[in-house]
Amino acid sequence: MADAGEITILLRDWRAGDPAAIEHLFELVYPQLRQIAGALFRGERPENLLQPTSVVNELFLKLIRQRSLRFEDREHFYSLSARLMRRVLVDHARSEGRQKRDHGIPVPLHEDLAWIDARPAEMMDLDRVLEELEQLDPRKCRMVELRFFLGFTSEETAELLNTSKATVDRELRFIRGWLYDRLHEE
Amino acid sequence: MTRDAENWELLQELFHLAETTPEADRERVLAEKCPDERLRRRALKIFTASSIEEPVKTAPKDSAVGTRIGPYALIRHLGTGGIGAVYLVERIAGGALQRAALKVLAPHSAGPAFVERFHREQHILATLDHPNITRMLDAGLSERGQPYLVMEYVDGAHLDDYCNQHKLGIAERLQLFLKVCDAVAYAHRSLIVHLDLKPSNILVTEDGTVKLLDFGTSKLIQTDSRLTTTVMATPAYASPEQLRNEAVTTSCDIYALGAILFELLAGTRPGNKASVAAMIERAIKEQEPEKLTAAVTPAAAEQMGLSESRLRQMLRGDLATIVQKCLRPRARDRYPSIDPLASDVQRYLSGRPVLARPQTTLYRVGKFVRRNRGGVATAAVVVVALVTSVAYAGWRQEQAVREGQRALRMQAFMYRLFKLANSNYTGKSSTTVPEFLELGVKMLPQYIKNPSDLREAQLGMAESMYENGDLDSAQKVLTDTIASAKVASDFPAEAEAEAFSGNIAYLQGQMQQGESLTAHALELSRKPGVPPAVRAWSAVYYAWNRDNEGFRSDENLRLLRYAAKECQDNKLSDRETAGVLYMLGEDLELRGQLDEAEQNFNAALDVYSKDPLAICDRSAVEGDLGYVIEMRGNAQGALPIYQNAYDGYKACTGADSPGALTIQDSQAGALLKLGRGKEALPLMEAAVPVWRKIEGSSPEISEPLYYLSRAYVQTGHFVDGEKIAKELVAVQEGKVAPTDRRFGASHMIWAEALVGQHKYEEALPHAQMADKLLQEGNGISPGAKMMNAEAHQVLMDVQAKLAQGGKSSPANESAALKKQ
Repeated sequence: MADAGEITILLRDWRAGDPAAIEHLFELVYPQLRQIAGALFRGERPENLLQPTSVVNELFLKLIRQRSLRFEDREHFYSLSARLMRRVLVDHARSEGRQKRDHGIPVPLHEDLAWIDARPAEMMDLDRVLEELEQLDPRKCRMVELRFFLGFTSEETAELLNTSKATVDRELRFIRGWLYDRLHEE
Repeated sequence: MTRDAENWELLQELFHLAETTPEADRERVLAEKCPDERLRRRALKIFTASSIEEPVKTAPKDSAVGTRIGPYALIRHLGTGGIGAVYLVERIAGGALQRAALKVLAPHSAGPAFVERFHREQHILATLDHPNITRMLDAGLSERGQPYLVMEYVDGAHLDDYCNQHKLGIAERLQLFLKVCDAVAYAHRSLIVHLDLKPSNILVTEDGTVKLLDFGTSKLIQTDSRLTTTVMATPAYASPEQLRNEAVTTSCDIYALGAILFELLAGTRPGNKASVAAMIERAIKEQEPEKLTAAVTPAAAEQMGLSESRLRQMLRGDLATIVQKCLRPRARDRYPSIDPLASDVQRYLSGRPVLARPQTTLYRVGKFVRRNRGGVATAAVVVVALVTSVAYAGWRQEQAVREGQRALRMQAFMYRLFKLANSNYTGKSSTTVPEFLELGVKMLPQYIKNPSDLREAQLGMAESMYENGDLDSAQKVLTDTIASAKVASDFPAEAEAEAFSGNIAYLQGQMQQGESLTAHALELSRKPGVPPAVRAWSAVYYAWNRDNEGFRSDENLRLLRYAAKECQDNKLSDRETAGVLYMLGEDLELRGQLDEAEQNFNAALDVYSKDPLAICDRSAVEGDLGYVIEMRGNAQGALPIYQNAYDGYKACTGADSPGALTIQDSQAGALLKLGRGKEALPLMEAAVPVWRKIEGSSPEISEPLYYLSRAYVQTGHFVDGEKIAKELVAVQEGKVAPTDRRFGASHMIWAEALVGQHKYEEALPHAQMADKLLQEGNGISPGAKMMNAEAHQVLMDVQAKLAQGGKSSPANESAALKKQ
């Protein structure tokens, strides 16, 4: 066990389906993501450094340096962080309470991190539809989380998921349509 | 619930099919693919939805604008720096409206680490005063307890945006870059490393003034401690060691400057496409960055008003080399400081040669290596040299067509040669390298009929003989070559053979002949049609040998620099260029221009370290590099370099070779300087007997004797020291001019040996002689000056002792004893 760090082990437990592992990881990453989310909701919209990607990258580096995480586990780490960022936003939305929505829900899928502006109700709906996507196609769900919750570029997403940028773009076009459809039906 | 589940794959297939099919055919094509109409409609619905554009919401208004922090009114949000928001602010000061930039620590980052970083920035900015660094005006705590900094407000654009908006060309971009270098160099001199240099931290105002911002990540360099940083810099500009959390030094800033220059020139960051994870991986694996020329974007070319291929062409060579030298994964391979980086950029701008090593491909084995190795090259190396020297003639375009036939003939020749060298033919158990070469020279004319090709091959053979330490045979072949080239008016071959032959004459002590041959070669080399390598080496042999013999003139130095430029401009092979840079370095070393010498040595080492066959060359350069470092007063730092050089010589020519022994002398010298005579003594006690075997009692042995004698004196063996000093003077007597500095050094150590034995009267004449010869000897190198001072001190000490009555008590220690 000398080589595999603490986080590496947690991540593996998580992948192996141990629910306790995610709670530990959550405690570790959540406060930092929470801080950004809080700032974002207050309308302080940092242009550069405090995007979730940067924060998670910084955390990743820190864990690598502390040797509590192994480089090989980067895919798990980033996927988990993206998942947590989603959870942070949903938690936030939930705490704000469900609000009346005035018109259709915008799909938070353009180049910038449009979800920042999503209202709590929209966020809750989005979360529900993503949950459905998770059941259908977990890989696509992860793609969405990385790309639109963590702010990864298509290139970064592709690199992490070990595929090409073209594939990521292609799949995301489909997901975008599918999400839009799902969010606007009824 | 998941109603698309059953048809998920098919649904996607239909979607992508719809994407790639023109609208008119869409229904038909999809129907062919899938008979289920409900599913087709679903796919088309998703397809339509995928192209619906949502209106982009505008960013919420910044709530802070319009409020105050301290006496400052917040006018506009300018951006977000490392740890907080930056606002344009105004205040009324002395009746005038003052504008400034105010940076306030963002509430969500108000942890102790951030506050500490904030205060550090404040402290660091307060110590910096430079026209290209933003000045700090004020600092304080807001009513809500948030720390803030007030800085000079710079109304400008980010460096990269400025260059692009103004469509600046390469030269103008470099001018701006030099201003950045200047500011960073100033910070380094103030013992501050920035650690987060990037275009968005560098503003340029409309009138072109450059201002460096955001010292929030910077660190004070503490002279002794190795710094590490846990603060994350922007990954794209962070050096590999920063990413690996290793010690950070000024070299991190040099890396970042390289990344900035890369971006300014190519239009994209190095490794732009890579994710942070990939960057870390690259840092961990110490991978070389991508090539500047390969990264050029069409947009960058357009902004500079050039075609893409033209921009690539302009970046190839010097600029690519400069950028690459900044971006080397290991800090020690980068520019050692900003000054040489800036001066290389300056050189590029003024069309002078750049000192960083160029990357070239043409490879010519060991051509014209000045040092007489004395070692035995293996037959394989000789053969390689031979074949490449023939292939080398490819520079002549009109000959290109003949290359194929030539190669075939050469192959036939080599085959025949090996066959003949085989024991079955010679009747001997094995053929030695000299015999092999001798045979080759004899056989050449039978295989190579074209006279110009023959001369080319002869030059190759001569080079191999030279490499093999057989100067006489090489000289014979060269004399033939010169004669036949003269008759045929083949200037390139004549110049090359003369330059080479002149160098050998110097090495054999025939100075007159050496000078006239190299001078003639230099003259010939200026004729059209002479290849750049011959031009370069003719200049080197002429100038270097003259300087080495003491004709030191500025003209010679100019020639050496010209040769280095020829190598670099014409992309001569790495080894060839390295050889020239080494000689230029040695010449500069002789002149005491240590910084420049060191740069050249490092550039040569860069090449040699990569080539296992260059181990001898590498060791020679390391010997000189160690010496330069020792001359700077860092004998400690020289020791490991000497050790590398020694190990290299030992592997290359053997422990008993003059190369290895010379390095041992240097090691002893450095140890003596450090007062570690106990370690120096065994080295010299081992080396001197071997030297005696090689040199007998020639004056060549003076240096080893000198160190041995010093080692005895320093370890308190004064009688032995005196004995060796006496021998030293005897060896020099009659062979070295009586006014030579070397005499002075010998007498100095003799005097010190006598002082150790309290024989002050006896010591006095030696001390006087030493002082006189050394003061008059015109030593200009730093080492010589040190020695002058030491001799003077010895004389003063002896005189003082004699004035006290000459007979000293043991408690009244002598100068020599004090040294222990």
